[in-house]
Amino acid sequence: MTVVLAVCVAVTFGVSIYMMLGRELMGLAIGVFLIGHAANLSILAMSGSPVIQHDKAYQTAEFKIPPVLESDQQAKDWSEAQLIKAEHPEQDVVNPLDEMVDPLPQALILTAIVIGFAVMGFLLTLIVLTQRRAKTLDVNELAKMDLPTPSQAH
Amino acid sequence: MTSLILKTAMRLIVPLTLLFAVYMALKGHNEPGGGFIGGLIASVSIALYRMTYGAESFDKLLPIHPRILVFVGLTMAFLVAVFPLLFDRPLLTSYEQYLNLGFGQTVHFVSAAIFDIGVLLVVIGVSVGMIDRLSREVEK
Amino acid sequence: MISTLFLTLIGADNGQHASVAGPALVEGAGSSSRTLLLLLAIFAPLVTGLITLFYPRKGITLRVLTALAGPVIAFLLLLNHFNVNGVQPLDAGSGPVAEISWMPLLHLNLAFLTDGLGLFFALLVSGVGALIVLYARGYFGKNEDDLYRFYPTLGFFTTAMIGVVLSDYMLLTLLFWELTSISSFLLIGWDRYDKHAVKLAMQAFVTTGMGGMGLFGGILLFGMTTNVWTWSEFINFGTWWQAEYASLAFNNPVFWAFLLMFFGAATKSAQFPWQYWLPGAMAAPTPVSAFLHSATMVKAGVFLTGRLLPVFGGAMVAADGLRAGLEIWPWLVTIIGGFTMVLGALISINQHDLKRIFAYTTVSQLGLLMCMYGLGSFAYEHNGHLLQNIDFDITQIANHAFYKAPLFILAGALGHVLSRNITELNGAIKKHPAMCITIILAGYGLAAGPGTISFQAKELFLYAIYHLKYTAVGNWWMLLMAAAIVTATCNVAIFIRLTTTLIGLPGGFKADPNAIEADHHHHEHEHGFWASMIWVPGAILVSFQYIGGFVPSLWMRVFGDLEVYNNNYFAEGIPTFWGAIIHGIHEFSVPLMCSGIAIVCGIVLGFSPIFRGTIKDVCDKIYPGIYWLAVTGGGKAFRLIQTGNMRHYTVMVLIAFLSVFYFVSLGDSKMFDLAVSQLGSFNEFWPGVFLGVIICTTALSLPLVSHRIIRILLLGSCGFTVVAMYLVYQAPDLALTQLTFEIISVVLFVLVIRLLPRDVPKYRPNPIWRIALGTMAGLAFGWMTLVAVGADPANKLGMWFTMNSYEGFVRDVYNAGRGGGGKNIVNVILVDFRGFDTLGEITVLSLAALGVWSLLPSRRSRKTS
Repeated sequence: MTVVLAVCVAVTFGVSIYMMLGRELMGLAIGVFLIGHAANLSILAMSGSPVIQHDKAYQTAEFKIPPVLESDQQAKDWSEAQLIKAEHPEQDVVNPLDEMVDPLPQALILTAIVIGFAVMGFLLTLIVLTQRRAKTLDVNELAKMDLPTPSQAH
Repeated sequence: MTSLILKTAMRLIVPLTLLFAVYMALKGHNEPGGGFIGGLIASVSIALYRMTYGAESFDKLLPIHPRILVFVGLTMAFLVAVFPLLFDRPLLTSYEQYLNLGFGQTVHFVSAAIFDIGVLLVVIGVSVGMIDRLSREVEK
Repeated sequence: MISTLFLTLIGADNGQHASVAGPALVEGAGSSSRTLLLLLAIFAPLVTGLITLFYPRKGITLRVLTALAGPVIAFLLLLNHFNVNGVQPLDAGSGPVAEISWMPLLHLNLAFLTDGLGLFFALLVSGVGALIVLYARGYFGKNEDDLYRFYPTLGFFTTAMIGVVLSDYMLLTLLFWELTSISSFLLIGWDRYDKHAVKLAMQAFVTTGMGGMGLFGGILLFGMTTNVWTWSEFINFGTWWQAEYASLAFNNPVFWAFLLMFFGAATKSAQFPWQYWLPGAMAAPTPVSAFLHSATMVKAGVFLTGRLLPVFGGAMVAADGLRAGLEIWPWLVTIIGGFTMVLGALISINQHDLKRIFAYTTVSQLGLLMCMYGLGSFAYEHNGHLLQNIDFDITQIANHAFYKAPLFILAGALGHVLSRNITELNGAIKKHPAMCITIILAGYGLAAGPGTISFQAKELFLYAIYHLKYTAVGNWWMLLMAAAIVTATCNVAIFIRLTTTLIGLPGGFKADPNAIEADHHHHEHEHGFWASMIWVPGAILVSFQYIGGFVPSLWMRVFGDLEVYNNNYFAEGIPTFWGAIIHGIHEFSVPLMCSGIAIVCGIVLGFSPIFRGTIKDVCDKIYPGIYWLAVTGGGKAFRLIQTGNMRHYTVMVLIAFLSVFYFVSLGDSKMFDLAVSQLGSFNEFWPGVFLGVIICTTALSLPLVSHRIIRILLLGSCGFTVVAMYLVYQAPDLALTQLTFEIISVVLFVLVIRLLPRDVPKYRPNPIWRIALGTMAGLAFGWMTLVAVGADPANKLGMWFTMNSYEGFVRDVYNAGRGGGGKNIVNVILVDFRGFDTLGEITVLSLAALGVWSLLPSRRSRKTS
C-alpha cells in the first residue's frame, strides 16, 4: 500500500508543480489545491500500511482498526503490556500500533485540511481581486505591471 | 437552482443536516466526528440552502454576520484554553465530569467539548462567510 | 545602609546566591558589600542622569549639580575602595571580590575586578566625567533642550565605561562594551537633523559594533575551549596554559580567540585600518569628543589589550617568572600600533580644523599605547634577570588623558568664541588670554616638552624601543625608533604652529581671506561662573601634566600603586624631567638623544612652510565604500532575484531544493535500499491500487484539459478518490472532513470562476522545462515519502496517544499526567493533547475569513457604514 501511496504522492506533487509553473493564476490555484492532497497523502503514508495480512489466493485482507478505542479496557490492556515490557525488555508484548492505525498523522492531516481550506478561500479571493484590478491573470503580464496600491486606487 | 423539488427537499434536509452536524460535534470525543466535521457539514447544508433560496432567505436563516459566529467561537475556545491557568494548571488542561441527568442517566462531560463547540462555530462562520461573500459578488 | 537597600532592590541574598567561582572566593558580608558598593559606583552616573529628566526644563543649575553628583559619587566610592582595599593583586589565589548571581549558566554574573588597570581606568572615567559635566554646561550654555538630552546620555555612557573596566566576567565586559558603542552612537549623532552627522554616527557604530562582535566571538571561543570566563581566572590561566595550548598553530582555538579579541580592541581604539571612524566621530559636540573620543572610550581597546597582555602577550605579573605568550602578539600588536602612530601623526599635521588635528593625534597616541603593549611582550636580559620590556604603563595612558582632553575642551571653547579653524585664530590670545594660555599649556604636553609628565612618558616609550635591541628584534629597533621620532616631530610641530598662531608670531597661520566661515556653534554669550566652565575643566586637567613633570613623587603617590609593570628602567620610580636629563647626559642615553632630535626637528618643521595644507585620509573611503557596495550591490542583486514574476520564485525555490535533495540522496545507497524494500508489498489490497490509479489519472489529466468547469470537476473527483483512500487507511474522521471540504471547495471554485471573465486566453505552451521540473519534484517527493515510511521507528509517538487517550493511567512508564477522556483518539489529540495547535489553527481560519471579508466589502457592511 505504501508504494501505491508514494506513487500517488509523486504524481500529484509533480502535476501540481507543473500547474504552479503555468502562466495563469487559476492554474496556480489548482496546483495549490493539488499540492495539499500530495502533502496529506504523504503524511498519511507515515502511519504505515493499514493491512495486517493479506491472502494472495483469495485476495482478502485483514485491516487494522481505526483510531477509535473499542472500550476503555483496550487501552488498559495495551498500557499494562507496555508496563510489563518496561520491566522485562526481552518479553514480546503487543504493540498498540500493530492493531490500530497510528492516530497522530491523521490528527495532523485533519489540521492541514482545514488550514488548506482557509488558504484556498483567501487565495481565490485574491485571484478575483487581481483580475478586477489588473484585468488579466497572466503571471508574466502581472510582473510587468506597476499596480497601484489600494490606498492610491481609491 | 430554483427547482421546486430541490426547494421542497431542502426544507427537510437543512434541519436534519444541522441536527446531524450538532450530533457529530458532540459525539466527536468518543466516536468519529468532532468540531471540524460538524462545522463543515453544517456549512455545506447552509451553503446549499443559500443556493436554493437566495440571499434574502439566507439572511433570515442567519440574521447575524458570520464574523459574530467566528468571534464567539474563538472566544469560547480561548476561554477554555486559559481557564486552567486560574488554578495554576497548564494551558488547555481538560476536566472531565460525570453529570447526573436524573432517571438513572449520566453523561460523561469533558471540558474539551466546549472547546470543540468553539471550533464548530469558527468553522461554520468562516466557511459560510466566505461562500456568502463570494456569492454576493456573483449576484451583484 | 545603601548596600542594604541595594541588596533588597536586587533581591540577591548573598548567603544563598553568591556562587563559588573559584577556590579563592572570599565569602562574607564585607566582600559582598564591597561588590555592592562597586555596583553603586558603576550605576550612580546613570541614575543621576536619569533623575535630571524629571526636573523642570528651566532648572539648569539643579540639573547640572545632579548630573555632577553621579560621577562624583562614583569617583569617591572608587577612591574609598582604593584606600580601604588597595589594588587587588593578580597572582594566583585572588579571586573576584564576591559575586552576585545573575545568569550563572551563561557565565555572566556581577563580579568586579579592581586590579590596577581597572581601578585606574574607573577613576579616570569618573573623574574626567565629572569635569565634562561642568564643561557641557559651559559649552551648551543655557540651551535647555541640549542639556535635557545630554546629561542622561552622558550618564549612560559613564556607567557603561566604568562597567567595561571593572567587570570581572568577560561577558559582562562585553555587555558594557556594546553599551559604550551605543551611547557613542547616540552622542555622535547628537544633531539628529544633520544627515552627515548621523551617517558618521552610523559609521562609528558599525565599525566598533563589528569589533564588539569579534570580541564576543573571541570570548566565547576562549571560554568554550578553556572554560575560563572571568578576567581574574584568565590572568592566572597563564600559569598552566602552556601545557595544554602550547601549539601556537592555526588549529589552536586560543590563537583565533586572541585574533578575534584583538580585532575588537583594534576597532575600538581606532587602529589602522579602522582609524577612520574616530575623526568622523568629531561630528559630536565637543564635550563628547573630549570625553569619549580622546580620554575614555577609545582607550577601551588599549585597556583590553592591557588585560590580554599577561596571558597572550606572556607578560610577567607576579614573581612566577616569564611566561611565553602567543608568538604572534609582539609582532602584530607592535606593527599595527606603530604604523597607526606614524600615520595618525602625519595626517594630523596636515589639518586645519582643531578638532581634526587633535583627533588624528589621538589616533597616533592610541597607536603608541598599543605599540607599548606590543613591546611589553618582548623580554630582555638585565643583570641575569629576564625583564618585561614595559614600564609604568598606567603613567603613559594617564599622560595622554591629561593633555588630550584639555586640548579638546579648549578647541571647543575657541570654536565657541572664535573659530575652530586654526587659520582664523591668528592673535587670538589678545581676546581670550585664559583660553589661549591653557591650550598652549596643553599643547606643550602634546609636544612632550620637558616639564610635563608627557616628557617622561615619551622617554619610557623610547626606552622600551631602545631595549628592543637586546631582544629577538635586533637592529630593527631603529625602524620603530625612527617612527617614534617622526611622530614626536609632528607633535612638536603642531605645538609650535598652535602657539605661534595664537600669539601672532611669525611662522603661525595667517588668516585666509578666502576661507569660508565654518558652521560652528553659536549661542548668546554668557559671563560669570558658568561661562568660565568652558575652559576651567581643561585647566584643571592640564595641571596634572605639570605636577607630574615637576613633582613626580607626588604623581607616583597617586598612580604608583596602580602601576602594573614597574621598576624596569627606573628602579626608584619616575625621575623628574631634570633628573632624567641629567641621567641621560651623564651616561650617554640614546632615548634622550632621540627626544632631542625630535624636538629640534619639530621646531624646524613647525616654522617651515611645508605640510600646511589639508589632506584626507585614504581610509576614510573604507566605510563609505563598503556601504556603497552593500547598498548598490544589494540593490543589483535584489533586482536580479526579485523579478516580480511568481514563476521565477517558484523555479528558484524548486531548483535549490531539488539540487540539494538529489545531491544528497543519489549518493546514499542506504536511502535507495530503504526505498526499494518498500516496493514489494504494493498489491496488498487491490482496491487500494485501483484508487491510486484513479488519483493518478485524474491528476495527470488536469493539465491536459483547458475547460475550466471540467478542470474543477476533475479536481473534485481526485479529491473524492482521496476520501476513499482515507477510508482504506482506516481514517473515518479524515474521510468525513475531506468529503465536506471537497464539496465546499468545489462550490468556492465554481463561484470564483463565475466571477472571472469567461474567455481565458490561450497561452503558447512551453511545457518541456515545466514537465522536467514537475517530474523531478514529483520523484523527489515520492522518494522522500518512501524513505520516511521505511524508517519506521520502534517507538512512535502515536503509541503514547493511543494509551493515554482515555484514562492514561500508566504514569510511571510514560510519565503521563492524565488522560484525555475520549475514545476517538484523533479528536482527543486535536482538542486536548495538541489543543494549542488547534487554537492557533482556528485563529488562522478566522484571519483568512477576515481577509476575504475585508478584500471583498459586501453590501451588508456598506449598509451599516
